[in-house]
Amino acid sequence: MSPLIAVVTPIFHLLATELPRTAPQGSNSVAARAAIGSLFSLHILIAGLISGAGEIGPAIEWLGYMRQRRRYDRLAHGLGRFITVYFSFSSFIAILLITVLLVGLWGHFWTTMVTIAWWPLFIEAWSFVLQVTLAYLWYYTWDPLRNFKGLHMAIGGLLAIASFIQVYMIDIVASYMLTPTNPNNPIRLALNPTSYPLTVHRTVGNLAYIGFAFGGFCAIKYLRARTAEDKAFYDWGGSFGLLWGVAMTLLQPVIGYSYAKEIQLHTYGSWYKMMRGTLSTVFLWQMTLLGVMFLVATFYFARRLRTDEARGAGLLKAMSVGMVLTTLLAAMPYHLAFTYDQVLAAGLNKPFWDGGLINPLGAMIPWKVLALMAYTLIAIAAVVWYLRGLPGVIWGTARRGEQRLLMLMTVLTMAMIVTMAYIRENGRAPDLIAGQMQIQGQQDVSQPHPSPAPASSP
Amino acid sequence: MDSFAMARPEPRRLSRRQFGILGTQLAGALVALALGIPIIGFLLSPLFRRQTYVERMVGDISSVPEREPTKFEVAFPQNAWPVPEVKQAVYVVKVNGQTRVLSNVCSHMQCPVRWETALRQFLCPCHGGLYDITGQNVGGPPPKPLPEYVHRIDGTTLYIENRFTEDI
Amino acid sequence: MGGWVGSAYNWFDERTSMRSLLRKGLYEAVPVRGAWFYTLGSATLVLILLQLITGIFLTLLYVPSVKEAWESLNYVQQHDAFGSIVRGIHLWSAYILLFVIGLHMVRTFFSGSYKRPRELNWVTGVGLFVLVLGMAITGAFLPWDQAAYWTAVVVTNIPAYTPFVGPFLRALWRGGDAVGPVTLSRTFGIHIWLLPAILFPLIGAHLALLRKHGEFGSYVNYRGAYRSREGVDVPPAPPQRPIEPPYPATPSDELWAAPLETEDFYPYQTFKDGIVSAGLVLLIFALAVAIGAPLEATADPATTSYTPVPQWFYLPLDQLLVLVPKQLIPLVLVLPTGGVLLMLALPFIDRGSERNPFERPAVMVPGAFAVLFVVILTLLGSGRLFNL
Repeated sequence: MSPLIAVVTPIFHLLATELPRTAPQGSNSVAARAAIGSLFSLHILIAGLISGAGEIGPAIEWLGYMRQRRRYDRLAHGLGRFITVYFSFSSFIAILLITVLLVGLWGHFWTTMVTIAWWPLFIEAWSFVLQVTLAYLWYYTWDPLRNFKGLHMAIGGLLAIASFIQVYMIDIVASYMLTPTNPNNPIRLALNPTSYPLTVHRTVGNLAYIGFAFGGFCAIKYLRARTAEDKAFYDWGGSFGLLWGVAMTLLQPVIGYSYAKEIQLHTYGSWYKMMRGTLSTVFLWQMTLLGVMFLVATFYFARRLRTDEARGAGLLKAMSVGMVLTTLLAAMPYHLAFTYDQVLAAGLNKPFWDGGLINPLGAMIPWKVLALMAYTLIAIAAVVWYLRGLPGVIWGTARRGEQRLLMLMTVLTMAMIVTMAYIRENGRAPDLIAGQMQIQGQQDVSQPHPSPAPASSP
Repeated sequence: MDSFAMARPEPRRLSRRQFGILGTQLAGALVALALGIPIIGFLLSPLFRRQTYVERMVGDISSVPEREPTKFEVAFPQNAWPVPEVKQAVYVVKVNGQTRVLSNVCSHMQCPVRWETALRQFLCPCHGGLYDITGQNVGGPPPKPLPEYVHRIDGTTLYIENRFTEDI
Repeated sequence: MGGWVGSAYNWFDERTSMRSLLRKGLYEAVPVRGAWFYTLGSATLVLILLQLITGIFLTLLYVPSVKEAWESLNYVQQHDAFGSIVRGIHLWSAYILLFVIGLHMVRTFFSGSYKRPRELNWVTGVGLFVLVLGMAITGAFLPWDQAAYWTAVVVTNIPAYTPFVGPFLRALWRGGDAVGPVTLSRTFGIHIWLLPAILFPLIGAHLALLRKHGEFGSYVNYRGAYRSREGVDVPPAPPQRPIEPPYPATPSDELWAAPLETEDFYPYQTFKDGIVSAGLVLLIFALAVAIGAPLEATADPATTSYTPVPQWFYLPLDQLLVLVPKQLIPLVLVLPTGGVLLMLALPFIDRGSERNPFERPAVMVPGAFAVLFVVILTLLGSGRLFNL
């Protein structure tokens, strides 16, 4: 016993004296930011699917029960299997992030954040437990409860609620980092200016993402399917996923614009960086990507109807052309330099046809706003016309082109998610909590809110 | 019927039934006119009431600091009962050697605009509209600048009229 | 009935036909399944009547003058506990009425109850919805406290963005260029006489049409019409009962003419209606006693410290006002007007006879989008309110 104590005690003494006494002040190194950034992106790409599947799976099961069609049940069952298989991997990344990277590299920030947002993180942890319990319960009681569908669907409904609460709570933390308010008032903390926009944006986005994702998955499975029943099922699954994804994405322009408005009103510096500064080209890429997504969807609708000679294919092709024009309008840059400040510095603050560096047709207001409205209108018309033409479609006859479009859609959605994450985090940089804590050093550097634009900007 | 009968048309006679119908319609039209003209006239009358413009003294503006909008309240008569006068807010701004007399009525939805010292701008709290120190709309939804009062300065005393340099 | 009660009843019945009227009213056939959803319509009616009654009693204490409106209400808040409760009931009943009328509209949309021959029922219903919204907005002006005054300023300013006739419309409502005593008097008259004079006959028409065609109910009551698609097990249709009034003897649509199983309106449906309506009234009463109707400081047109906050049911439009850029402000008028026109045109756009909501996605998806759009605008607006 005493040789053991003789070996162990010096080790403990060494650990107690050499390890830092409080959380490290934080590293702003490229390696640290790259590690955290890429792991967070990977986490969101999978966790978004899991939350979305937890919300949409029970809805699809209910829809199948009301329509009395087995394929909905089969699809929901597949989503349940997806959750059970990938949940552990996603949580592994999340735990890795929090325990090793956030605590290890950005310890001071993380402990401050947990102190401020204690109750959202506490509720989130418990809803996480509830989510995993209900997900496994929902999947593994599928067969046993097949004669008690009501009870099974109730479990699914609870899973959807738990998934939503989990996203809502973590969004309180994430939105607080961008627009901090009074941390001592729980209502102000939960309803900070970007909390609702971010939560609504992410909830709708998760639902769209899972739709596009299983659409792409069904496309791959369709190309490998052997039996006619499988082909019909995967063909329908791809179409259904895309429909669902587009329908949810239709709501995003107004939510996203509202989110940007709150950012403009409450953390002007981040807004300026995104719209006029160093991130403005990335934002332009995001607007273009949104248009391309709607375009690919409209093109899929037109092609799928044409494959079976269903009515409405011609009109949808015309809508595709409209979507191309709208995307071109949205993709126009405003300042023909890297940032707007470069234009001002060169004194070329006039239209390019007057020798300047401004393209008035690229202005957010009103041209890009009109483009966003046009996206929404054309896309909703496309969805309605596709639904009207669906009775003429025979599932299982899709061609390879449609499947390629579905897979492209999944890739585009993932690119969109990573782009938006990049804009968000770098827009707020070098702050971790806007105006209060920077990445480097991570001491509290509370400042008054950044002031809005000088009078000279249009 | 032979062609001769066609050359002499039958005189038109008003039947009893037709007379009744016509009379009912005429009576209805008369009642509608008798009711309608006064009512519509009454509804539209405020639009044609001539607005009288009066001048009121705001006060001594020599103590208004440079680039610091200062609020004054001025009472104007209103063309209705029961209170004879109603107060309006006026911002006096001295900037770039000029004195501007601005109203705080937002050009978007007419909400009360206020000067925010931290922002160095006028802010409309309803929808986030922003105006710079000269009243020019620089942010948010307001489509036009802050309205300016028709005014005159006599020495260091400011007088304004209850109308703007442009219709809002 | 025997004895003198019976003979008194017969005396009345000979002179009023009470017996057959009662029988027609109480014992009409209503569909059996889904009956709890149909209580929303009667709840709407009960809440409107509650508004009428509390409104009448409020006119016994309120003075529609810019000086005395606030004074009269303040006096009631300070010195009259029961008057304050009546005021509270009037406010909370209005809020809950707007919520219930929205649910009722969503239910009738979902169940396809606007299809032939009930199109005019839907059209009168949309008219009623717009009138109830008008009542809510005009009622909000009346206290003439800060909240009411600035609501009046902003709401009367919205029509000013109509092309060509905008400023004329604004001056028509305000009774001049600025909000003032004429605005309050006109709005008071609109609120207690003009709008109710259109609302109540329209309610009568809405109910008369309902009685004429019968309650459609839900597609589940018409299972015999269920058409089979691949992979679907269709249960055999139960034998049809003889068609009872009000369902037509010569139906215009064989499949959806009359429900398979019906029961008497009284007492089965009236019981459900009663439970829901009583529950709502109790909720309103509790809210009126616990929270009551607020009364802010008296209106001050020269304020530079007050932040006008919109009524909750007005939040979607207010959020649009925040989002729509200055070059596109007429859009704020176009979207609600377009929405109402689309609603009115719905029975003429969706003319198919399918009533099952899960079998007509081309109508459900845009409808769900419209509802979600309004809900999301409300959520975004309410988040903004907490950060003013």
